[in-house]
Amino acid sequence: MADHNSFHFLGKKTIRKDGLAKVLGAEKYASDLSIPGMLYARVLKSPFPRARVKSIDVSKSEGMGAVVITFIEMPRIRFCPRLVSTPEATYKDWRVLSGNPLYVGEPIAAVASESEEDAQRALEAIEVDFEVLEPYMNALDSLKGGEGLLHENVVFNEKEIQVENNIACRLEITEGDVQKGFSESDVVIEREFRTNRRYHNQLENKSVLVSPEVDGGVSLWSTSQTIHNTRLLLHEIFGIPVSKIRVHKAALGGSFGSSIQTNTIVPIAVALALKARRPIKLSYTREEDMRDHSSYQMIFRMKLGAKKDGKLQAGELNMIMDIGAHQVQAYPLLGCVVGWWVSLYKLPNLRYVGKAVYTNKVPSCALRGYGNPQTTWATESMMDELAEALGMDPLDLRLKNYIGKGDLFWGQGPTVKSIINSCGVEEILRRGAELIGWENRPKPFAQRGRFRRGIGLGRGYHTSSAGSPIPGTVIDYTGAILKVNEDGTLDYITAMMDQGGGTLDAHAKIISEEIGVPVDNVNVVVADTQTTVYDVNTHASRGVYAGGGVALMVARQVKAKILEFAGRALEAYPHALKIRPDEELGQAVIYAEGLTSKQITLGELASMARVKNWGTIAAVESLRPGSCPPHFTGYFIEVEVDTETGKVKPLKVVAGADIGTVINPDLAAGQIHGGFAMGWSMAILEDTPYSESGDLLNQGMMTDYKTPTTLDLPKLDDFKVFFVETYEPSGPFGAKGIGEGALNPVAGAVANAIYNALGIRFYVLPMTPNMILKALKDRERIK
Amino acid sequence: MNINKVDTHIIPFEFEYHSPESLEETVKLLEKYGSEASILAGGTDLLVNMKKRITEPKHLVNIKKIAELNGIVETPEGVRIGATTKLRSIEKSEMVRERLPVLYEAVRLMGSIQVRNMATIGGNLCNASPAADSAIALLALDAKTDIIGQSGLRSIFLSEFFLGPGKTVLRRGEFLTGLSISSLPEGSGSSFLKVGRTSMDIATINIATFLRLRKGVVENCRIALGAVAPIPLRIFRAEDYLKGKAISKDAVEEAAQIVSEDIKPITDLRATAEYRRDVSKALTRDALTISWERAKGRR
Amino acid sequence: MKVELTINRRKGIFEVEPNELLINLLREKIRLTGTKYGCGIGMCGACTVLLDGEPVLACLTLAVDADGGEVETIEGVAREGKLDDLQEAFLEEGAVQCGYCTPGFIMTAKALLNENPSPSEDEIRGYLKGNYCRCTGYVNIIKAVQRAAEKRKRIGKQEI
Repeated sequence: MADHNSFHFLGKKTIRKDGLAKVLGAEKYASDLSIPGMLYARVLKSPFPRARVKSIDVSKSEGMGAVVITFIEMPRIRFCPRLVSTPEATYKDWRVLSGNPLYVGEPIAAVASESEEDAQRALEAIEVDFEVLEPYMNALDSLKGGEGLLHENVVFNEKEIQVENNIACRLEITEGDVQKGFSESDVVIEREFRTNRRYHNQLENKSVLVSPEVDGGVSLWSTSQTIHNTRLLLHEIFGIPVSKIRVHKAALGGSFGSSIQTNTIVPIAVALALKARRPIKLSYTREEDMRDHSSYQMIFRMKLGAKKDGKLQAGELNMIMDIGAHQVQAYPLLGCVVGWWVSLYKLPNLRYVGKAVYTNKVPSCALRGYGNPQTTWATESMMDELAEALGMDPLDLRLKNYIGKGDLFWGQGPTVKSIINSCGVEEILRRGAELIGWENRPKPFAQRGRFRRGIGLGRGYHTSSAGSPIPGTVIDYTGAILKVNEDGTLDYITAMMDQGGGTLDAHAKIISEEIGVPVDNVNVVVADTQTTVYDVNTHASRGVYAGGGVALMVARQVKAKILEFAGRALEAYPHALKIRPDEELGQAVIYAEGLTSKQITLGELASMARVKNWGTIAAVESLRPGSCPPHFTGYFIEVEVDTETGKVKPLKVVAGADIGTVINPDLAAGQIHGGFAMGWSMAILEDTPYSESGDLLNQGMMTDYKTPTTLDLPKLDDFKVFFVETYEPSGPFGAKGIGEGALNPVAGAVANAIYNALGIRFYVLPMTPNMILKALKDRERIK
Repeated sequence: MNINKVDTHIIPFEFEYHSPESLEETVKLLEKYGSEASILAGGTDLLVNMKKRITEPKHLVNIKKIAELNGIVETPEGVRIGATTKLRSIEKSEMVRERLPVLYEAVRLMGSIQVRNMATIGGNLCNASPAADSAIALLALDAKTDIIGQSGLRSIFLSEFFLGPGKTVLRRGEFLTGLSISSLPEGSGSSFLKVGRTSMDIATINIATFLRLRKGVVENCRIALGAVAPIPLRIFRAEDYLKGKAISKDAVEEAAQIVSEDIKPITDLRATAEYRRDVSKALTRDALTISWERAKGRR
Repeated sequence: MKVELTINRRKGIFEVEPNELLINLLREKIRLTGTKYGCGIGMCGACTVLLDGEPVLACLTLAVDADGGEVETIEGVAREGKLDDLQEAFLEEGAVQCGYCTPGFIMTAKALLNENPSPSEDEIRGYLKGNYCRCTGYVNIIKAVQRAAEKRKRIGKQEI
């Protein structure tokens, strides 16, 4: 293990590079951008959850001077907006605009005018005649298929395949002998769980600005976690040569997975720009954004069996997920759900059946954790139930069965297996237990008063990237370019996006640490697809691990070249030279130890290299991680339940994490703060119920999509975060990810805390005051 | 709601804007344009409804330039609050805090600081939301509304002001100029309580109570609840039950029972009717108990 | 219609339509895009600006209704190239993640500190409850406001 104190920059608090622009209000998000002469676009959306457009008349809006496109004139191609999986794991059922809309909000046509008001008027002038069809508003009805298929066929691996029973895709996995495992178990429990269907509620709504170029290409800025995949998708849809599609980075106002795929509005804006030959700005309003993406709703049936000593013998999981109207990444998710599940605890025998089902709801996509928060909530609830049935401390049951160092791990699914090389689970659990006072937690049935307290434990993890030793079906690699400028500063050029977590700051620090340059001297370039090498996506908590990994690779190469040039300049042996960041000079200084005349600043060296025609010191690299090591987290949450109102209050939170080497301490803690808030909200607040007519009951208004405010979360002193010391040998300077692990165990810990307070177990999310009060009443009635 | 007509980036239609500086001028404009006109005060409800196309006025009459509509003044009975007084001004007013503590308690829990800086007390009442926090507190204070119209001034109790969600007794050409409220008398106590999903929420259910005790006997009492009926509701049967009774835990419990029977809640996406009924009982018990405690302390 | 507005200490006369919102006047006409659209209905606080010193929602304010007023946006907070204590504190406490809510938070917090130079944690939480953040869980934001208040106290600044 590295000595953490020996780091110059890692683990120390620094000011994030994009912070200045952000506190000044100068940062440019896609929604802030404009180009002279641009038109404002609006989208005509289906008001019905399932319909067929019999006819559409746009003559009135065109008469108003608007540029109009409809589904009729779009490329006939079906596509998948997410290009992370290989073709043999990619299902395609999307169109740019649809004449057979399958959810309220599905785009049918779009208009562009000189102002948003004009565009809105033109939109309202479009006349559509719909044949309204009977929708499926829940997955179980959809499976019965009484009203026919939502998609007759879809494109899979470039071939058309038939859809059966509205099942978008399925996956079954068996390992060992489940029957035998259960029969050898002393305790077997089986439960059904149903999650909520959450909305990302990222503060910035989806937005895109497209400029048509004279060569037939386009330049664009959009809310995106991947500029390269956006480019490739637009090439696939419109046939524009890849080299003529220039996708620029723009700051992301939160995303949480909702822009892993190229957002719905992007190809629409491109189609408008190609037709209008004018730049197009298309920004969704909140009510449009809320009808654009949501999380996956899952119904689990889970069975676990264990011996008297607590050793798990077998597990069975049946999962049906409601994916809404289209597939973004349902198939890979089927693999991940089983991966999340089997990589929490050792199951010698297991069986899994996962089905993804189409419904007439807003399409689902990843939401921070990609099914892991849902799976971990159910599993951690089960572990507590199992512990109670066994008469064991829930903490001991977890310690007995968790998957840790040296174990096989396949978090990202059956094609992404590797061995764990760093693990701080035990320390997280033991220290957390001590900090919360686990030993003195209440007994579930002992309390009588109106306000009852409970402490719950939830643990979990997430993968850092989706890398693995063999190719598999997930594309996961990242490129970077690093070059030294003539004044000794460096340009770091990456396609990777920062969702806000400070990913790119971590890269800059890794580069600084490796070479020995002040962090201020590493410039993170706001680049585009033409000037960067490929990066798959900022997702899967891979930013620091995979992106930081390639940053380290280019830094090593640049360092070697610096030493080589310095050797020439100083007439010294390169391998005998050292580099130090000199704060006074604000420069890296290359020197030979003990020889004061043998030193040169990096700026002087780079200038010399130019004058002497040695060339630019630069490197370009790509990295495919050979594994996706888990970062581990554990939450101990104390709640108070008001048995008269059913309201649950978070009193105290202790969160421990193993993220390997901590690179940005304040930002890493920030991930946990935010992860807790989102998990708490998932546990008790968030959902997107639908009306009978098939629209969101909240009609896209934030008034009725509730998330916690400043007043609804624990006070500063009641929220403790700690990091345990581990070192991940495959990570840059021992680092792993954090983004998703910060959230995954929260809902499970909350459910367990509520059980501890009330002695009532909830199997449906969110655990609302309504549900809690009703359960308390029902219990009274039975008594 | 037609989803293709809603655009919360902008106000997606045109209207004519008026900014009268006198009451007379305002009455004339409202008389002239009738249902085509909407009064703009704080705008925090009106503009949202316009963005959603729930209302599409052709004329907007901004009444914030009329000086006499704004402000909190002392009256012989208590306090007069002008219709365009901002919620934030009410919250900050020493006079309100001292004489009408229940109004202070309700207002400070409303919306955000931004909303309270914009929203007016008159606007909040005229919006006639069944859940309006200010209305509940003012019902417990038995506030009187001052209304002006072509035929002059009239004054009615707030308990008669609401007709249904979004509907009030205001007739064509009429508008609310302010509220007259008596100070809490000696020997009385009041309280306001609210349950919402988060700290920034329309009430799932809210309550304000007022109790005046003399030697332990309830001399006067008012109980008002929100989000339990089409209008903010006084529960007269529970009030009548308590009046003249010696205050006791049992009496409070019985009043709470009556409240839970007399409310007419519905199920919506915020809560079920059953939940509201159950919680109304707990809230009534809590609010009356606090009022009782405070009545003991208030000389 | 013509309205006179002082925006970030500079007076201007603007031609606006009656239905034009202050947020769009700022963002589209003057290109002050630091004021953000988040929900359009006053629930998220991303569009918070100071109007005559008080925090209000630009997405629910008609430009004509602000006539004669003084508007301060996030772009007006730093003076002569120097960051405000709040801006500095947001950077130092790691209170900025995606940054989209940051302008709104800073505007509201600025009004808070002007009104109450040494707020308690509860007072800070109460004042900021109308500003929504999905990234931070508010922890580092609350710390940043505390830090700015402490710094002002240390150097004896009352209001800026």
